[in-house]
Amino acid sequence: MQFWCSTIEVPWTWNFRAYPGIWAMVVLISLPYLMAMRRRQGPNSDTSAKTRFFLAGVLVFWVATDWPLGLLGASYLASAHMVQYLLYTLVAAPLMLLGVPEWMARQMLGRPSVHRTALRLSRPVTAGVVFNLTLIFTHSPWAVDTLRSTQFGSFAMDIIWLLSGFVLWIPILSPLPEMTGSQYPVKMAYLFLAAGVVPAIPGGFLTFATFPLYSTYELAPRFHSLAADTDQQIAGLVMKLGGIPIVWGTMLAMMMKWMAEPREAPVPTIQAG
Amino acid sequence: MRRSPATLVAGLACIILLAACAGSDEFEGEFAGVDLAIPLEKPDVVLTDTAGDVYDLRAETEGLLTLIYFGYTNCPDICPVHLAQLSQVLERPTMPDNVKVIFISVDPERDDPARIRRFLDNYETSFVGLIGTQAELDAAQILFDVPLAEREGAGDDYTFGHAGQVFAFAPDGFAYSVYPQGTRQTHWVRDLPVLHAITADDEEAE
Repeated sequence: MQFWCSTIEVPWTWNFRAYPGIWAMVVLISLPYLMAMRRRQGPNSDTSAKTRFFLAGVLVFWVATDWPLGLLGASYLASAHMVQYLLYTLVAAPLMLLGVPEWMARQMLGRPSVHRTALRLSRPVTAGVVFNLTLIFTHSPWAVDTLRSTQFGSFAMDIIWLLSGFVLWIPILSPLPEMTGSQYPVKMAYLFLAAGVVPAIPGGFLTFATFPLYSTYELAPRFHSLAADTDQQIAGLVMKLGGIPIVWGTMLAMMMKWMAEPREAPVPTIQAG
Repeated sequence: MRRSPATLVAGLACIILLAACAGSDEFEGEFAGVDLAIPLEKPDVVLTDTAGDVYDLRAETEGLLTLIYFGYTNCPDICPVHLAQLSQVLERPTMPDNVKVIFISVDPERDDPARIRRFLDNYETSFVGLIGTQAELDAAQILFDVPLAEREGAGDDYTFGHAGQVFAFAPDGFAYSVYPQGTRQTHWVRDLPVLHAITADDEEAE
């Protein structure tokens, strides 16, 4: 039995495979959170809404990591690999961030040095660069073929993706106000560039590549006769277009919030005359 | 010496981009496949094709680039990948014409001509399927210098341990390289035109 989804060289079947390491990770993320929330529960707290967000994020993480999607992405299909990436970075990470209350975030970043590092990472330019460098690295043929071939490597890739998702969303959704200080137009521009524009470049590269880039998926037993190059083209399209609803939906929400913000009335000028 | 965060991020970015670009194919030998120390002359094998006709391998493929593979239609992993790779590679416009792909079944018990034909048609209708008696198939494998396919498992769902490499015979009738499991499309695209250019006329000129 394996603990984490990684490349296997047997034909795909819909027979369930158990990955206890993934279940343990889900428990390791959820249990301390639920215990901490339970201790802080009070009459005026908004813990239930936050808990729902967090658990929804954990659920998405689980679905993206475990059988069948996790195994398809680790071993058979580049397109499944890309769906996993989008789920981690654009769905699980923001939902989990929305579920973390300010007091918990301050506890987690207890040390001043950790807080300082997080503060630096929360600057839009830094966050955008780190997120996209991670994207490029974790989608390079070397990284995919090397990391996906072992359970530890595959585990590392999944965790790196989740962490890079946190980095992407912290400037927008951090529970700490000092990390989301930018104005709405800056946040919208940041999200558009970091999660909308830049990922389209490697996405286009995958779609229009002459050959299959990843040996993992090229040489895998075929999934329902889907050719390796078609699968890679789908992967590229998923990367280019898959994030659009979330990125543009979030930008729309920010735009509406921005429009609803009270503005200072213009000061009337008195003309001499 | 204390470095600024910007320098560290730039350094990290360089390392990541270098790693991202790493992994280009490098070949040790003349071909992307596994070079044969002594080129193998195309064996003199006569089997039966999927139309039920006698198929003389040497006569039918004389002067053609010929790719030969031993497999079976119930093969769960290597055979479908090899055949899918070849069908995709040969569709490319830069590939030579008249490349013969020949699939020799090592499972005479289950693989009748119609079944082999259906199996190959999933990939490419021009692929040639061959079958024979157990004795003929054993003799063919010995001539190709590969271990005899061994039946594994009991019941109807048995599998075979069999040679996993594709033999690529140039038009001059010799194989200079074989292509094992894990051969990528880039490897085929590199080697097929090179192999196609090796003709018997070249040898006579030398």
